[in-house]
Amino acid sequence: MESPELTVAPTTAQRCETCYKDVSPDDAFCQSCGYPLKGTEQEQKAFRLQHDFRNIDLFAFNSKIKKASNALYYLSGIFVVSGLIIYFVNTTAENAVAVLITNLILAMVFLALAGYSKKKPLACIISGLCLYAIIVILNAIVDPITIVSGIFFKIVVIGFLINGLKSALEVEKIKKENNLS
Amino acid sequence: MEEPANLEIHKKLCVQCEAIIAASGKFCPACGARQIAASVLSVENRWILLKQAALFYSIHIVVCAVSKFVSFFDTLMWELVTVVVLWIASVAFFTDKWTENKRLFNWRSFSWPKLAAYLAIAMTGAVLVHYSVGWLNITLFSKDEHYYIFAGNKVLNTITVIFFTAITPAIFEEIGFRGYLLNTLLKVADAPQAIYISAFLFAIIHLSFISLFWLIPFAIFQGYMRLKEDTLWYGIFFHFAFNLTGCIFELF
Repeated sequence: MESPELTVAPTTAQRCETCYKDVSPDDAFCQSCGYPLKGTEQEQKAFRLQHDFRNIDLFAFNSKIKKASNALYYLSGIFVVSGLIIYFVNTTAENAVAVLITNLILAMVFLALAGYSKKKPLACIISGLCLYAIIVILNAIVDPITIVSGIFFKIVVIGFLINGLKSALEVEKIKKENNLS
Repeated sequence: MEEPANLEIHKKLCVQCEAIIAASGKFCPACGARQIAASVLSVENRWILLKQAALFYSIHIVVCAVSKFVSFFDTLMWELVTVVVLWIASVAFFTDKWTENKRLFNWRSFSWPKLAAYLAIAMTGAVLVHYSVGWLNITLFSKDEHYYIFAGNKVLNTITVIFFTAITPAIFEEIGFRGYLLNTLLKVADAPQAIYISAFLFAIIHLSFISLFWLIPFAIFQGYMRLKEDTLWYGIFFHFAFNLTGCIFELF
């Protein structure tokens, strides 16, 4: 009984058709993705459909994360530009250099967070959001009018970051379930 | 029937039908059931945890920002009020999950050599930071900060500074950030991300640019230590030794 199984070529028969991981011939379900290896054709079709839907979800969540990391890049650019403008408008001010350096450091932090947000979206988006919140609050304390200036821009950036954060949670869950991480 | 004792280390039992499967298997090969660790929370639950952590952090941002940048609150009385508000926040959030958090006050891994080693690292770090920060402050921002609260009374001044900058932050920042916040983040993200996020948030709440470059490594080390030792006590003593060394430089 066992000899015919041993002679079967270990290419197609030993791999799951959905996730291409190795499977043993005794398995009724793939251990990596849950594909019904010995199920009916209908069951296998239903599984593949569900799998495709999950990939569509994953795509949508990833595009939201992309928007959040773009928002971080945008913030980085804004800090460089505003830092330079403030510096050249009042070069004579005593703290001009300090303001410029502060803005450039902030820009670098946001740039680093944006660049790394593809790998670790959750950590980078939380960090970026909190840093931005602190900057907005500190500016508002020093000069209350700043909270209204560019309010539309602030809401959009924070919105993108929060959406990205939620999507990062979803993506981590899907990746964990699908054995992708 | 195989006895569980005969099970090899890289095998486990299916949660539904108890078939033997590989430890790395995500699905049971016999019944197809998904093998989920009990600790994995749903997205909704993790979102609620994050919102709670955001509330904790917002309280810290507002209190720290107001006490540091509004000159009206520059008195010792308000300093005390600030500290008490932050204590209450840290203790309240920590005790909200008391049953699962209280184990952090156990000190099973206690050992004198280990404690001495951590204290030595803290003091060395503080000395390095003192000289590098002094240099950076003078070269970049041309200012030199000092503590003179009771300029006339040296003893009272010393006690106040040590109380405000060494004792209370060591206890309450550890309870708040390494206790409540890190524990919450560990349920939301994997351990390296949780340590990093809590460290970054801890660093930027100090509202000081120059300090960022040493606060982040400091807090990452603290987070790693808290996970490795599974107790808050090493962190509290480490933090105390670090801040005390800084105080001594400022005062004498």
